[in-house]
Amino acid sequence: MTRTIRVEHLARVEGHGGITVTLDGERVESVHFDVIEGARLLERLVRSRRYDEIAPIVSRICAICSAAHSLTSLQATEAALGIEVSPTTRLLRDLMLRGENIESHALHIFLLAAPDYLDYPSAIAMAGRHRDAVALGLRLKRLGNMIQEVLGGRAIHPVNAVVGGFGHPPSTEELVALEDALESGVSDALTATEFVASLPTADFCDTETTFAALETPERYGYADGKHITVRRSGTAQRIPIADYRSLTNERVVPHSHAKHSLYDEQPFMVGALARLAVNGGGLTEAARSVMRTLELQLPSRNPMDNNKAQTVELILDIELALGIVRRLLSTDLHDTAPAPIVPRAGTGTAVTEAPRGLLVHSYTYDADGRIARADVITPTAMNAASLEHHFQDAVTRGAALDDAALRKRLEMIARAYDPCISCSVHLIRRRFEGRRP
Amino acid sequence: MQATKPTVGIFGLTGCAGDQLVILNCEDELLSLVDVVDIRDFLMAASGGDEFSTLDIAFVEGAVMTRRDEEKLQRIRRRAKALVAIGTCALQGGVPAMADGLDWPSAVRDVYGPEGDGFDALPARALHECVEVDFSLPGCPIEKHEFLGAVADLLNGNPPQLPTYAVCTECKMRECDCLLVDQGRFCHGPLTRAGCRARCPSYAVPCVGCRGPVPDPNLGSAMDVYTSKGWSPEEVVQRLRTFGPLPTPVPAGEAA
Repeated sequence: MTRTIRVEHLARVEGHGGITVTLDGERVESVHFDVIEGARLLERLVRSRRYDEIAPIVSRICAICSAAHSLTSLQATEAALGIEVSPTTRLLRDLMLRGENIESHALHIFLLAAPDYLDYPSAIAMAGRHRDAVALGLRLKRLGNMIQEVLGGRAIHPVNAVVGGFGHPPSTEELVALEDALESGVSDALTATEFVASLPTADFCDTETTFAALETPERYGYADGKHITVRRSGTAQRIPIADYRSLTNERVVPHSHAKHSLYDEQPFMVGALARLAVNGGGLTEAARSVMRTLELQLPSRNPMDNNKAQTVELILDIELALGIVRRLLSTDLHDTAPAPIVPRAGTGTAVTEAPRGLLVHSYTYDADGRIARADVITPTAMNAASLEHHFQDAVTRGAALDDAALRKRLEMIARAYDPCISCSVHLIRRRFEGRRP
Repeated sequence: MQATKPTVGIFGLTGCAGDQLVILNCEDELLSLVDVVDIRDFLMAASGGDEFSTLDIAFVEGAVMTRRDEEKLQRIRRRAKALVAIGTCALQGGVPAMADGLDWPSAVRDVYGPEGDGFDALPARALHECVEVDFSLPGCPIEKHEFLGAVADLLNGNPPQLPTYAVCTECKMRECDCLLVDQGRFCHGPLTRAGCRARCPSYAVPCVGCRGPVPDPNLGSAMDVYTSKGWSPEEVVQRLRTFGPLPTPVPAGEAA
């Protein structure tokens, strides 16, 4: 007998998506992660726009990842136009990305994911009996936003980061305030670890998973990498970032009639858990201790571990951000002023680690410094095939469960991936094909 | 008084979810906010929302870009006593509406290939092009203080108030250097509604016009200033379209 399990509108994620799974008895017939977001065509709309207009437009792809979109865009433009930025600019950008990661992870762990584990419809409902935990999450989220406001001038759609540098570097007073806030953040992050460790176990999957993340020159960095590492079964392959298409190519697979991003015939996962799998050597002692407390074993075979991996990154980002702020306090920040720009024709590709994983922006400019071609590939688009792979594993293992229990597992897995559906610039194509007769 | 708390819904159509995120970013106020209002439907933050009850206030962000968006907006309109458009996409279409005059079906095909032909993808429309809008809060994203102020106003039965002057006024009050007149850079300040405390110029970055036009923008005079600084009329028009159609008087129903 065939049965269909549907989640019409996935709640507590960014954007609009749904899940459809069909079973014949205990055999999984199809799994779909549907995108029901309108198409905004931003890659088409930036054509003929000049280099200074691009980052403010493409940051609007997504609010939660707007700093990552903005900075990845600036780097792609700088690569195309041959602009070198100062080491201080790179440091400020690194700090901005860590601020975004802290905000995004705190939002996700406490406000979006945790209510499932404790059986509440929302963090607002959860605040009735767990007010301290919700207040803690909000405090950590505010810390991330404070960093983004100081560096970017605004928590969402930053204005201060521009091609070649920053409009204004942060003042000493702002940096001192950040130092204080980050110092309190360290103990908040340790309390967050206790909260996450106290949540019930969620072992819905047990399957070999391929991970992809950016290799970076900085310790556990989020930008400036030249290679992507793909890790599976103890093997690692390196892809130069200019060849990103060999990672993100899309293919038709029989079970869903939808195109998937596959590398070497395998779906791959990006995000915090993938970064730990690839760059775990760069962890601080406190982050290692958090991993032990959470009993997080790598390489993971369970995507629910992404929630734990984000908790590890919370402490790590706060510690590393604190180190950066202290360095900045003894640095002259004036070399962050952008130099005059001389337009030229060229192509530039930048890959960063957004909170949800690898983010690619690749642009071709004409001789007047206007966009001729823009390509944006987001972590949620890359994760779609892997998400369906884990849906399939979870449904196969839980086929004997009733619809409500299965639906809850599917929703929890989708949320563990922390999907950002507004970001799914290319993903939308899949839904159409998935629905095709 | 638990039983008499006003009911609120927070919704997103097609967009970046930035305005809903601004609401979630009210970290210091969020828990007190839910003490005074009953949030019935907020899909981005809560599952199991109540999709049918009457709402005293519905906040809606995003542009109408699918038939599904349009149906959803009509359902929200039917159940809301006051519908508040939040963010520039909801007010005037936002960045996806910059393509004024673009052949939409061929642009869809350009990005999505031949499969795009059957896709539920419409050119961006503002909420007021589809339903009646009672109040509007501009910004990409909205300003936290304007959102919290609007909630307080609406709970007290007052229409939310917005500045009716341009970003230039706030820029002068902050004594920032003029990026347009002194440096010839393309700044949208003269045409853009204030309320952001001239955020971008305060970082020596030109205003991009994300809050939409000031009421009664003087387009002719602005064009003269831009062209006198060496910007071609075509470039001026393209840039002024970044967050939607060219500035026109504000839509009816907006509090002024």
